Amino acid sequence: MARARRIQRDVSTSRSDTSASTSPERGVDDDNDSFMMQGNDSQSSLAPSVSPEADTETLRRELEERCRVSPISRLPAELMISIFAKLSSPGDLKNCMLVSREWSRNSVGLLWHRPQTNKWVSVKNVITTVRKANSFFDYGSLIKRLNLSALGSEVSDGTLQPLSGCKRVERLTLTNCTKLSDLSLSIMLKDNRSLLALDVTGLDSITDKTMFALAENAVRLQGLNITNCKKITDESLEAVARACRHIKRLKLNGCSQLTDKSIIAFAMNCHYILEIDLHDCRNLEDESITTLLTEGPHLRELRLAHCFRITDNAFLRLPSEATYESLRILDLTDCGELQDMGVQKIVQAAPRLRNLVLAKCRMLTDRAVLAITRLGKNLHYIHLGHCSRITDAGVSQLVKLCNRIRYIDLACCVNLTDASVTQLATLPKLKRIGLVKCAAITDRSILALAKPKQQGHGGPVVPSVLERVHLSYCTNLTLSGIHALLNNCPRLTHLSLTGVQAFLREDLVVFCREAPAEFNDHQRDLFCVFSGLGVTRLRNYLNLDTRMPLSGSTSMDDDITLHGNGMVMGMGGMGMGVGVGIGIAGMYDDRNDGSGSNEEPEMILNVTAQAGGMALGGPEAMDEEGDEGGDDDFGEGSEIMMG
Amino acid sequence: MASSSTNEPAKQIILLTTSDNADMRVEREVAERSILIKNLLEDLGGESGEAIPIPNVNEAVMKKVLEWCEQHRKDPPASQDDDSDSRKKSTDIDEWDQKFMQVDQEMLFEIILAANYLDIKALLDVGCKTVANMIKGKSPDEIRKTFNIQNDFTPEEEDQIRRENEWAEDR
Repeated sequence: MARARRIQRDVSTSRSDTSASTSPERGVDDDNDSFMMQGNDSQSSLAPSVSPEADTETLRRELEERCRVSPISRLPAELMISIFAKLSSPGDLKNCMLVSREWSRNSVGLLWHRPQTNKWVSVKNVITTVRKANSFFDYGSLIKRLNLSALGSEVSDGTLQPLSGCKRVERLTLTNCTKLSDLSLSIMLKDNRSLLALDVTGLDSITDKTMFALAENAVRLQGLNITNCKKITDESLEAVARACRHIKRLKLNGCSQLTDKSIIAFAMNCHYILEIDLHDCRNLEDESITTLLTEGPHLRELRLAHCFRITDNAFLRLPSEATYESLRILDLTDCGELQDMGVQKIVQAAPRLRNLVLAKCRMLTDRAVLAITRLGKNLHYIHLGHCSRITDAGVSQLVKLCNRIRYIDLACCVNLTDASVTQLATLPKLKRIGLVKCAAITDRSILALAKPKQQGHGGPVVPSVLERVHLSYCTNLTLSGIHALLNNCPRLTHLSLTGVQAFLREDLVVFCREAPAEFNDHQRDLFCVFSGLGVTRLRNYLNLDTRMPLSGSTSMDDDITLHGNGMVMGMGGMGMGVGVGIGIAGMYDDRNDGSGSNEEPEMILNVTAQAGGMALGGPEAMDEEGDEGGDDDFGEGSEIMMG
Repeated sequence: MASSSTNEPAKQIILLTTSDNADMRVEREVAERSILIKNLLEDLGGESGEAIPIPNVNEAVMKKVLEWCEQHRKDPPASQDDDSDSRKKSTDIDEWDQKFMQVDQEMLFEIILAANYLDIKALLDVGCKTVANMIKGKSPDEIRKTFNIQNDFTPEEEDQIRRENEWAEDR
């Protein structure tokens, strides 16, 4: 058999320069080189051009003998690496490194590809090893991913600086390492030509200096997250835009100094942009948005929440017949100038929009909703919270034409009645519905939501797939409606009923989760959110509790005396006065629901996980999403750092 | 056209010649689990009937490989984005494959080499997972014993590597 030949062939393939390769490439001037190459190294000495014929023959025999004794020696480096790649635990990889020289060479790259840096002891050990003058391998050059975000504000310039010798880092994630400054970052970035993604979210002391260092070195950059780096200005970002033309994903949230200048520079220079998040870049005006769309044929995700200067013109100025087929996600939260005309143009220009967030675009009316219906089956996610002019007529049209909606939020759309919700309840794929402060709705709505759905025409009847239901301040609701919802929605994992008097009973609130720490006493008293196991427990309890009405009234009495709300309860906690309910809602507005602010951190975790460390927004962002945003898929599909 | 060939395409048999000069007859669909053979057949334009030489695989190993191909003949074709696949570090192996891989080490590594040469990604994957499972949870010394590997480190070197990689502990 052609064993020797096979091994030779593999010599040629075992060295490559990709990040998957584990060949520990060393500098020519490194003394340890000869040390590693001595004696045992079958691979390197096998190369026929170097070895005289006789030696090759001896080596071939040696190899054959070795393969006979230890069959695994037949596998070339590339296959050993494939095997090691299946080992998920660093401990196993370390044990492989200690087996033999050959094994250590083939496993070291995998082990050091992304060293564990989530604990101080590990980071210290990594730093010591990387800085060592005569280490066994040149470990620093093997590190491709470096993530210090788990240590957050404990990380200082003194931590990062010793790692600046790692010049092949491709993904550098420093989320919320708030002590870091230009000092260590510019050294870290210097001479690194491999960097693909940088996340410096929340490093509010870094300035243009770091961004200029980025522009000078990171020619391959594809992802940049500088969320809340408020000192960064147009000047350095224009340089980044000119130098880093392969950028695909940008998060510039909360960089409040930025203006159209830098955004237009990105639009004009970086034609591969897929996602751009400009949340809270409050100086932006229409021109930058128009340019991003016209110059970015691949743009998939455009987030402009709180860019409140944006008007209809950002879209009306687009060329009249042009369409932007790549655009799937558009977030215009709180772009309060936006009117029906703008939405009409958006839908015409971006017919394949899947997620459309128009929360707090308060001027929108049913006319905008009718325009949105043209998105048809493409629309999966629609947020119209606080668009309080919308009526049942608009919602009913939306349900008819966009029946693939999975998520809908209509918080504070106070005109809506049971007529809307009974329509919404027919959406076969609906997973999340937000109706906070839709105070007119009654148990009729809830019973409709609970009803099993028929799949298609004459298809099987299946239980509702609802997972998250937000009903805070829907003050007419009673136990019987929610009880039915609980028993008919097996996938329900979140149910918020803050401020719904029928649920503020001692025997029920025990299943609630804790109110957020920042809430005051009054807010705590109203807080009522069931999630995860809490939903199951509530369901079980209600199914057991046959004496419901009695226990209800007694516990409510306690509540009333305790907190002096002065409310009069009907039997069974039902019949809470609508007027009072709205009053409470009005007083505390969206913040009072609590589930919103409690929920956002979850969302951020999600985004971080999906985006490989690109977290989103600061505390402000959380507040603003206020009423049960629960935008679980806010970061959906944004593989920001994953390339 | 001919109704017989359109309704039930005749099972085309092809001929392979192994490294030890054995001729093996095998259904084309089964052999085409190997991308190497599939490409060769396409290059030859199909119906030539010539034997295809497989110079890197002997008869015993080829038999075993074809047994696997027969079992998996109807599997959907492997996805092209093998990057995401190979990153998946799971070492779960389905039951039939586990049994199939219960062979001596010599055969196990020959199967892996053959799968690599013949370009049968799913089989290569099962092979690598099998070996990874033999490594998991073992100390360096236990690994050496399992695979009969000689320790060519000096005690000092071993100690050095241990210290330099101290961070890599199991969680």
